[in-house]
Amino acid sequence: MADLRTTICGVSFQNPVIGASGTVGFGRELDEFYDVGQLGGISSKGLTLEKRLGNPTPRIAEGRSVILNAVGLQNPGVDHFIEKDLPWLKSKGTVVIANVAGKTVEDYHDICEKLDGLVDFVELNISCPNVRSGGMAFGIRPETIAEVTRTAKSALGKTPLIVKLSPNVESIAINACAAESAGADCVSLVNTFTGMVIDIERRRPVIANNTGGVSGEGIKPIAVRMVYEVAKAVKIPVIGMGGIATAEDAIEFMMAGAFAVQVGTANFTNVYAMPNIIAGMNAWCDRHKIKSITELVGTVRMN
Amino acid sequence: MREIKVEILENKEIAENIYALTFSVPSDLAKEVRPGQFVNLSTGEQNLLLKRPLGVCRKTDSSVTVCYQVKGVGTRALCLRKRGDVLSALLPLGNGFYLKPEEKKVALIGGGVGVFPLLSVAEGYQGRAFTSYLGFRNQNAICFLNEFAERSRVVLGTDDGSVGEKKNAVQLFLEDYEEGAFDVIFACGPPVMLKALQQAVKERGVKTPCFVSLEERMGCGIGACLVCVCNLTNGEHARVCKDGPVFSIGEVNL
Repeated sequence: MADLRTTICGVSFQNPVIGASGTVGFGRELDEFYDVGQLGGISSKGLTLEKRLGNPTPRIAEGRSVILNAVGLQNPGVDHFIEKDLPWLKSKGTVVIANVAGKTVEDYHDICEKLDGLVDFVELNISCPNVRSGGMAFGIRPETIAEVTRTAKSALGKTPLIVKLSPNVESIAINACAAESAGADCVSLVNTFTGMVIDIERRRPVIANNTGGVSGEGIKPIAVRMVYEVAKAVKIPVIGMGGIATAEDAIEFMMAGAFAVQVGTANFTNVYAMPNIIAGMNAWCDRHKIKSITELVGTVRMN
Repeated sequence: MREIKVEILENKEIAENIYALTFSVPSDLAKEVRPGQFVNLSTGEQNLLLKRPLGVCRKTDSSVTVCYQVKGVGTRALCLRKRGDVLSALLPLGNGFYLKPEEKKVALIGGGVGVFPLLSVAEGYQGRAFTSYLGFRNQNAICFLNEFAERSRVVLGTDDGSVGEKKNAVQLFLEDYEEGAFDVIFACGPPVMLKALQQAVKERGVKTPCFVSLEERMGCGIGACLVCVCNLTNGEHARVCKDGPVFSIGEVNL
């Protein structure tokens, strides 16, 4: 048995496998299939200050080895989460990451203030349209990333901050540095790639929102490259994600520089994806005589 | 409720472009399966990451049968699978059609592929008087007529009048309907059909409880991802996979 523990910002994870935001709810549904307490962590469904109903349906489409979603941040609101879901989630003994989103910088401030000290991490979803910059996402430009990171950080006295980076940008490494300089304790990447699938019989996009976020196995090589670039560029820890479906995929991300990984779409393909990945990482380490999974972080050597 | 590897026992075309796929299920899991629930079934195509939600049509102590119309890449892949092939199945999912012990006279209204979950009701409950109002596109689309006839009184219609009356399932039901004739009404079919039923129920002041089974593109199938929501009349959203797929006809905006 290898030691799968990993530590990020002083928070100890029993293993590096985290359920990615939006694919695991607040953990309750998966817990009907297996004890979610065995996971390294859970990143909550994106939380907003007020409850949100989200986008019209259809909210999902499929391509080869990828899916697209446009759920539109349907969630019960941060207060409901704190009152109804957080106590249960904390009782499971897994690391709790509250994923948060806002329409304005002030939204991010207020929501972080409410969560400070209550959760193990706050993860900023900065791929939402910024109302004040004509709807361009906060996560596109380094300046807005820095502004929203600084604001969130000012509201978080106790809880470490993860900034979740969008890949739909000019340079994800420059954006990661902007988050780091503004006080981010950690970055996670990649969020989804914006895409579209057209139903050619109807000559309309399949998803009601027209575009959706592309995720799943098909994006993995791009995500690995981005994690590598970001890990090289920043000193803060990196959490990697993007198409992880197997233990080998997770190990690839760790070699690229990730201290932990998030698993999203694979939970839809196989409900036991995360426990299988954890078991598989253990077996891989044993086969390769790796005593601690952290030995692998950033060990890839360029040709 | 769990995800398992299942072996295909049969996968055959039972009407034009409509397939019935039967797979083996361990008996403890088969016992859990209730009428009107669904299965999330992989397509056997490696590059399709999503399973397909398919309503339970029939079940035995050791098998479950789901039916599907070949429509997109997923169902096209599925119809190529052969006896002995292994798929992943997550089951049983959703709430299903529930009959209370005192509900004895039951109307089943099914349009097209919507008839399949209703067969699971007719075959899954004993000691009831079922009437099945079944509507199909045309003669070639008709399936499970004998199976419905064994368990219920059947009123049949087709859109082109090639067999039975030239009427859809809702029209057949409404012509036949008298207040008090049924204790409960179950319906499944295309959205336009359910909408027509909802409107008729409202206009005619039908007091009999009426439940509909909905369809929506799904992600996880277990209620975690919030992809497959429907609009409730109270302004809230419900998850079709977890809170449904069966809803009271008055609580959903169709």
